[in-house]
Amino acid sequence: MRKLFLLITTLGLIMATGCNKPSESTNTAGSGGGKKLTIAFMPKSKGNQYFITCKNGAVKAAADLGIDLLFDGPTNTDPAKQNEIVENWITLGVDVIAVACENKEGISTALRKAQAKGIKVITFDSDSMPDARSFFVNQATATGIANVLMDTAAQLCGGEGEFAIITATLTANNMNEWRKNIDLRLKEKYPKMKLVETKPCDDQKDKAQQETANLLGAYPNLKCVMAICSPAVPGAAEAVKQAGKVGKVKVLGLGLPSENRAYVKDGVTQAVILWKVEDLGYLTIAAATALAKGELKPGATTFKAGKLGEIQLQGSDIVLGQPFVFTKENIDQFDF
Amino acid sequence: MKRYFRELSVAAALFALLAGLALFAPNFYEPAPLLSRFAAQAPALVVAIGMTLVIISRQIDISVGSQFGVCAVVAGTLAAMKLPLVVVLLASVGTGAILGAFNGVLIAGLGLPSIVVTLATMVTWQEALRLGQQGRFINLPPGMQWMGLSQVGGQRALVALAVLMVAAFAWALKNLAAGRHVYAVGSDAEAARLAGIHPKGTTFGVFVLMGGLVGLAAVMNIVQSPQVDPNAGGGLELKAIAAAVVGGVAVSGGRGNLWGVFVGLLLLATINPALTYLHVEAYWEKAIQGLVILLAVVADGLRSRRGKR
Repeated sequence: MRKLFLLITTLGLIMATGCNKPSESTNTAGSGGGKKLTIAFMPKSKGNQYFITCKNGAVKAAADLGIDLLFDGPTNTDPAKQNEIVENWITLGVDVIAVACENKEGISTALRKAQAKGIKVITFDSDSMPDARSFFVNQATATGIANVLMDTAAQLCGGEGEFAIITATLTANNMNEWRKNIDLRLKEKYPKMKLVETKPCDDQKDKAQQETANLLGAYPNLKCVMAICSPAVPGAAEAVKQAGKVGKVKVLGLGLPSENRAYVKDGVTQAVILWKVEDLGYLTIAAATALAKGELKPGATTFKAGKLGEIQLQGSDIVLGQPFVFTKENIDQFDF
Repeated sequence: MKRYFRELSVAAALFALLAGLALFAPNFYEPAPLLSRFAAQAPALVVAIGMTLVIISRQIDISVGSQFGVCAVVAGTLAAMKLPLVVVLLASVGTGAILGAFNGVLIAGLGLPSIVVTLATMVTWQEALRLGQQGRFINLPPGMQWMGLSQVGGQRALVALAVLMVAAFAWALKNLAAGRHVYAVGSDAEAARLAGIHPKGTTFGVFVLMGGLVGLAAVMNIVQSPQVDPNAGGGLELKAIAAAVVGGVAVSGGRGNLWGVFVGLLLLATINPALTYLHVEAYWEKAIQGLVILLAVVADGLRSRRGKR
């Protein structure tokens, strides 16, 4: 019994020092040293094409930068499961944890604990509380996304009329942030446009289709449906098509080009808006690696992110860039 | 009259809701969107039939949502290979039946509790699906949507099929020996065994049937859109169980009526569009649905206490 206890404590000590040492030594030496870094990467949900594309970018970065990548996450969006996985990674003693947070407050306790154990933490896609991580890899700022969405919607509607929003869930942190900013932009620039309703689709295409069908019936003057989670964009488009309102009710949203190609070409969906998702995964791993090696420190204004080149920072936000608008004209150039 | 008090009170609630809509949101009754709503609920109704049998036989199956996802992906993959609809349908029903048989063997054969077994299979199928499909949508060939019919024709066919299934199963539960066995096993398995019924065989059969119905429902769902979402089916188990419970199926087994479940599903499925048409905030939807289910369970509890006295 005592031997076992001794064994565990020595192991623990080795792990603790093993975790702290490289980051200290690399601060001065500036090189990775002999041990390969282990970076743990967690999406909001493993089954979502968006996060799978993110992961593909992460895998490429891991190969480019020569680090070990751990990938795990809840199958459906599940904040409790995210905490559980972080706890496992703390026990495992990884070097960096990178998380897309489902619940901002919920996960922060677990992330602070990881930091206390000497593990570096960064977030991507959806942030935690700022004190629970070193950096947030921001796919585009909430204002950037909201402005592009709202501006495109207003342009499609000719600056006036009713529109509705389909979101994933009413609790998702990043989507609420976008909605707030959409509201701001709306009040500021488009007084003749009116947001009539925001409906959740539980991240399911079929539910988004049903909700959109209900909205089309309940608001006969609706001019535009804005879908802000990826499965909702084709769902909303199908509802508009089935209601025979193609062109009369415009569809736009944040989604993947591959899932919307047919609707965009048929003129059902006018605009699909997204950042380059693979690059988000790549940038996250590049930032995590630079952080662990001491090349990226609080207060930095730029850092080198592998093939992405020099990336700008705004405070503790590492910004990927402006969102991209996919339309009939350019959608064929993208295959994710 | 007294015997069907529960079913009638659910019908009364539905009627009140529909009357309210007629008054305050008459455009709820526009024919085309109304038909779309019915068609969208047809697969859930078919799953609710199976769930009713499962609950009457004093079991539960929370793996139906995952089964639905697996069947939808199997059906979608085959359809994408341009196989005829009949083959797609048979494969989907067969897949569902196999998944159901897996539950059935563990529950009836080994006597394990159904809540634990189906929880395990729910998670297992779901994870397997994530691994295999990675969230990718499946694009279906053009002829698949609406089974080659027009949109209205396809929607009518789906609704007719679902209602026909309810009628057939309601009849079979009442008039076939196998149907009465389900009630007998659910109210008292030991007494049923003494009466010469094979409780294990009946339970196994019910789970296979449940899976087969899920397979059918999955096909009824994928023909309504040109793409298959592998996450479809999330939350389906709750929907089916809620419809059964609200429709008056006793969670303790042995009692229930499919027409009650039909009305129960209609009530639950009307709440969501009704809120949209009445311009009520989406935040209320789940709370109201929960409240309806709670009312049903409380009514059940009160009735069984009164029965004991």
